[in-house]
Amino acid sequence: MRLFIVPLGIILFGTTETGAAEEIQFNRDVRPILSANCFSCHGPDKKARKAKLRLDTRDGALFDLGGYKALESGKADDSELILRIESDDPDEIMPPPDSGHELTAKDKKTLRQWINNGGDYEIHWSLKKPIKTSLPNTKKKDWPRHPLDHFILNKLEAKGMDPSQDLDRHRWIRRVSLDLTGLPPTIEEADAFAVDKSKEAHKKVVDRLLASNGYGEHWARMWLDLARFADTKGYEKDRHRDVWRYRDWVINALNQDMPFDQFTIEQLAGDLLPEPTSDQMLATAFHRNTMENDEGGTDNEEFRVAAVKDRVDTTIQVWMGLTMGCAKCHSHKYDPISIEDYYSFYAVFNQTEDADRVTPVMPFPTAEQSAELKELEIKVSSLNQRLEVKPDDFTDALAKWKKQLAKEPLWKPLKLLKMKSKKNVTLKQAKNGSLSVDKENPDRDTWVLSLEVPEGKPLTAIRIDSFPKKKGGKWKDKNVALRELTAEWIEEGKNPVSLSFTNPRADFSQRGWEVAKAIDRKTNAGWAFSPKAAQPHAAVFDLAKPISGGRLRLTLEQEYGQGLLFEEFRLSASTYPTKWLSPEIDPMRNLDQLFEEVEYPQTRELHAQLKTAKDKVNQLKNSFSKTPVMRELPTNRHRDNRLHNRGNFLDQGKKVSPAVLELFGKLPDGTKADRLGVARWLMEEDNPLTARVMVNRIWARLFGKGLIETEEDFGSQGLMPSHPQLLDWLAVDYRENGWSLKKLLKTIVLSRTYRQNSSISPDSLAADPTNQLLGRGPRFRLSAEVVRDQSLVSSDLLTRKIGGPSVMPPQPPGVWKSTYSGEKWKNATGPDRYRRALYTYLKRTSPHPAMITFDAGSGEVCQIRRIRTNTPLQALITLNDESYLEASGALANLMQKSSNELAQQITFGFRRVLTRPPNPEELKRLTDLYHQLKPEFSDQTAFLSSAKLEKGDPAMIALASVLLNLDETLMKP
Amino acid sequence: MDLSLNLQNTQAITRRHFFGQTGLGFGSIALNHLLTSNGYAAKEKGFRIPAKAKSIIYLHMAGSPSQIDLFENKPALTKFHGKDCPKEYLEGKRFAFIKGTPKMMGPVFDYKQRGESGQWVSELMPGLSSVIDDVCVIRSMHTEQFNHSPAQLLLQTGNSLLGYPSMGSWVTYGLGSSNENLPGFVVLASGGKTPSAGKSLWGSGFLPTLYQGVQCRTDGGDPILYLSDPKGLSRKARRKTLDAIKDLNEYQHKHVGDPETLTRISQYELAFRMQMSVPEVMDLKKEPDHVLKMYGAKPGHVSESESAADPRQLYKGNDPTFANNCLLARRLVENGVRFVQLYDWGWDHHGSSLGESIDETLPIKCQQIDRAIAGLITDLKQRGLFEETLIVWGGEFGRTPMMQNNVRNELKKGFYGRDHHPHAFTMWMAGAGIKPGAYGETDDIGYYIAENPVGIRDLQSTILHQIGLDPHRFSFAYQGLNQRLIGPTEEGKVVHDILV
Repeated sequence: MRLFIVPLGIILFGTTETGAAEEIQFNRDVRPILSANCFSCHGPDKKARKAKLRLDTRDGALFDLGGYKALESGKADDSELILRIESDDPDEIMPPPDSGHELTAKDKKTLRQWINNGGDYEIHWSLKKPIKTSLPNTKKKDWPRHPLDHFILNKLEAKGMDPSQDLDRHRWIRRVSLDLTGLPPTIEEADAFAVDKSKEAHKKVVDRLLASNGYGEHWARMWLDLARFADTKGYEKDRHRDVWRYRDWVINALNQDMPFDQFTIEQLAGDLLPEPTSDQMLATAFHRNTMENDEGGTDNEEFRVAAVKDRVDTTIQVWMGLTMGCAKCHSHKYDPISIEDYYSFYAVFNQTEDADRVTPVMPFPTAEQSAELKELEIKVSSLNQRLEVKPDDFTDALAKWKKQLAKEPLWKPLKLLKMKSKKNVTLKQAKNGSLSVDKENPDRDTWVLSLEVPEGKPLTAIRIDSFPKKKGGKWKDKNVALRELTAEWIEEGKNPVSLSFTNPRADFSQRGWEVAKAIDRKTNAGWAFSPKAAQPHAAVFDLAKPISGGRLRLTLEQEYGQGLLFEEFRLSASTYPTKWLSPEIDPMRNLDQLFEEVEYPQTRELHAQLKTAKDKVNQLKNSFSKTPVMRELPTNRHRDNRLHNRGNFLDQGKKVSPAVLELFGKLPDGTKADRLGVARWLMEEDNPLTARVMVNRIWARLFGKGLIETEEDFGSQGLMPSHPQLLDWLAVDYRENGWSLKKLLKTIVLSRTYRQNSSISPDSLAADPTNQLLGRGPRFRLSAEVVRDQSLVSSDLLTRKIGGPSVMPPQPPGVWKSTYSGEKWKNATGPDRYRRALYTYLKRTSPHPAMITFDAGSGEVCQIRRIRTNTPLQALITLNDESYLEASGALANLMQKSSNELAQQITFGFRRVLTRPPNPEELKRLTDLYHQLKPEFSDQTAFLSSAKLEKGDPAMIALASVLLNLDETLMKP
Repeated sequence: MDLSLNLQNTQAITRRHFFGQTGLGFGSIALNHLLTSNGYAAKEKGFRIPAKAKSIIYLHMAGSPSQIDLFENKPALTKFHGKDCPKEYLEGKRFAFIKGTPKMMGPVFDYKQRGESGQWVSELMPGLSSVIDDVCVIRSMHTEQFNHSPAQLLLQTGNSLLGYPSMGSWVTYGLGSSNENLPGFVVLASGGKTPSAGKSLWGSGFLPTLYQGVQCRTDGGDPILYLSDPKGLSRKARRKTLDAIKDLNEYQHKHVGDPETLTRISQYELAFRMQMSVPEVMDLKKEPDHVLKMYGAKPGHVSESESAADPRQLYKGNDPTFANNCLLARRLVENGVRFVQLYDWGWDHHGSSLGESIDETLPIKCQQIDRAIAGLITDLKQRGLFEETLIVWGGEFGRTPMMQNNVRNELKKGFYGRDHHPHAFTMWMAGAGIKPGAYGETDDIGYYIAENPVGIRDLQSTILHQIGLDPHRFSFAYQGLNQRLIGPTEEGKVVHDILV
């Protein structure tokens, strides 16, 4: 990778991990000062550059400014940079006083010393490929359990600090269970581990947790924050979007420990893989989580472009920890990404079909649905097989039946006696019984036809045959719209009797104009047959009551307009059993099949089963969730790609071609500049960032913050890593281990570093207030999801079901009031009320209040990390939210069932929440509380119903609620 | 180096946000150290400027009222009434709904000059007219967005896309709250719906969620979600449970030593106090009759349109919901709340369906707000709060001088409508350091700005400036940029002309 050659003579970053020797290092000491204070005017952005001076490269700093230079190597006193920053003339001093930037005395000293040392630059640390260095030496030899512990201990020792004691087993198993699965351990699991003296005890726990389904559910949440997953589309209408099958995909992929390179490629470009599987297509919903604006009157192109830009930004944020956002409008001021780079990368993503609409979508059955479908399909094919072999007497029976049919025609035309027409249309009856209009049809009309009903065998059904209309004429549309067909039977000397039709069927019906609508007594629609108007069609209507003799009066309402009336047609009737009568154009065709399907007993039965099975198949297929996917436009429809001046899509500038950011490596051989190429490029060994960004992210989830705290910025504006060699060691190890997330997690959680106690002594707080050196275990508040899930596990309410559509646990009424959206929040009852928080329905413009108050996101944009807060609104939720009261109630009942002794009940509840047993002081305080609360419930039923219980002990419920609200409960131990 | 997005700061800020500027000084946590050694505090002296306002009351009319019918008396437009719109106003323009050539539509209601300043105000606003000499009417507002959701987001968060902190979040992030028992940023909504862009309009974006607006509800439920104790749990019992939580947490702190535990203890205590202080401040029954009358407020009134699927057809002129919210706003700023944001939905008068017309719905909406606004200004003045409270009124864009024609091309009673108009609209500001009068002009038909344009960035700059935050320096490091409410460019300028 040529771009990453480190110039000779530069002090390599991180060669002295101890940090004891305070020589000036460019990346660690100098770059942050220049980047924060100088680059906005003297950086990579050509347009913003002042005085033609750039300080982000050595060449720039050495540029001859007219007899003097910003930087004179080794001579601070001759360097304009130093003169300017040390000046006290307001016109001279840099940075200018009105810029908002100001250098400290220490900064100035650092810059002076750096120039005196030669003023060397080095490539930004994160652009260098990570390498595994040898493990640093430590004085304590018995502490490290794992390579990573050497890096931690080495730094601690350099600062004269000791690592903390190991955590006791109860707290460790609670910590690791919450970290790996988001769920607390059971008392049984904890006790078994506590007494397991084998060397493998910790490992066994970790293996069990990593193999559990809860693992994928917990870690999916991290990924879904990045994927800006939500159940709605965003913006004004913020309507529902069916994309939960993507969440299922993420959970499954994690549970199967899908290697991160495959995980990446399938999500970014699954559709571009050769013959993609259904799952690979589903994965591409990752980038269909962008928002769509359904607001009336919006410009779809504007929001399509916004979505594509979001994909670009998200891709670079998630995999490379860099921000491209600024380069949308102008070249990056701090990192060498130009506006051309941005739009070239944008061009890669700008060729998909979606355009601020839900399409393209694909149906993605769940595993259960697939299994059900397979079963049904087997059934269908076995029925078909059975039908292939006909019983011996079938042929004879068929011949006999046909003979019977031959006695009389299946259908006989009805003779027209007289007719009425509003528009004076007359119909002529031909010899074969067909009726035709005598001249051009009016635009609309209603015909009342009087037809002869023969005496003798009663008529069972009526049939209409419509013949194609002649070309030309006044009416271009050759369709027919029979909006309503009604019938009366008139016997000589009697009042007309209204007849009803049943079982309407046609060889073909137009969508929305199904034949049944012709007899529904409503004229808003009827039977029509566009787009197949040029062919003959037939419809059959059974008579609810057969008739014989007299006259039949049919009324044909054809008032749609535009001449959609019959031109030539025939009305016939049959005397045969209606089941023999099909709307085949040629009624004598397929008689064999008809016999088989409706007449012959054995095959009739099989056909009935077949129909049921086929109906079920269709029903099932219609119920499959249709999930938005990525699909590339065909080459001939590829979009033209241009710069958007100042980020404005209406102001397009010069043309660009798709390309990756070459600063971070070239496209791998054999790939092209499309999404698949980008995905492979991200996962190339040469890419300096992907592995570092991912291991840092995982580290942050486990330890509360990353080895580089600004997870979202690995560029020059981000913070420096606290343990750069460790970050690199883990990054390389992760890649070498086949990008296995489970292995990475196992590595970290089995380390001695992770096992440390999180107690903070005043000394260690003073020495390292933010635990940057990791001389103690991580202690920070659990995520919104874990806070909820933990309460459900402690109270044994949790519904342990994996995947599926989002659910609606209780939410106070009136929270959803979106403009123009009729969608409503309906509190779930039954098992869906107690699902893991991961499955809680997320409406972007109105997330569940308990979730956002605990710092969960809204899914609107990619969320790299959540900033933890500690507010009184959180207290109100865990104290007063219906869900937590229900959990308190259920927990209290479990406590009371566990023993007859109050102390044991309290201990049991305490352990269900916190795993460890209470100390005597804690037990006493809780026991006192119980006795204090006992007389406080004059109206027991009111409080019981708050906890959704009919009976129980209110004092115990209030005590259980206290357990769910303890600081230790809300924190990782 | 700016490290403001960093956890220790957040924690420190968390404490300060709820405990006021001084902090409570509990435990041995290095609070002062945290506040002075890192980005946030270091920058503080850079972005704080002398403040004119202590609080802001922002009255957002979601949907955007018609400036043509409320503030823009345009005889020339009346002359063209009913004629086809000239081509030059249509070519190259994007409209939300207008198609082809619409007809021009003059102001529907009568205008008079009001107050000593002689400003033109429509007959629909007699209340505002009575206090017009306290108000600065800006007739030359313009925006870049012509759809509700993006335009509201641009106005309130500085970006037309979702995910950015709202003005109220910025202000509380910069200044904190001055009442330790109430949130610093409160949102009150009326009109039966939340505005188009939803709760994102008071979201904290990339700022800590601590700074998101807290919606106080007036529809009969908890004024703040989850505020009430569960039924059947007495205040005394609640106190006992909190005492136990406190004791057990203190025990925990003694053994584990995490300062965060102390913060949690304090937050639980604050929650307990909020359970008393919030209902108290929200209780309008405490107001004397003459004050209620001044606003047209009715304590405890829950309007049926607040829970209707389509509230627009149920709107009544005497609906007191907005008036109640105005009175609440006064009570909140009186109690030290920094930013009170009112959203009133139902101002999107396209005239294409029932309940959204200029001729019938606009007068009703005006009745709902007009007396309340006059009451608010008068009340603040009587209490000496007017000079320290900045009031802002307006929609997210304006409405066209042409009638909307996508459904019908002729005027019909109950269906007079105008489309979205980003090129020129009216807002007004009052109070804290705002010079009363008129600012900016549009052309003869009110289509384009003729002089002194004020963009969204300018408005935001001016608001921040009045509350004591330098709009150009007040920033938060995120995604490689010093993010600001006024966006990355320098186009936003404080409108000094309208300042005293």
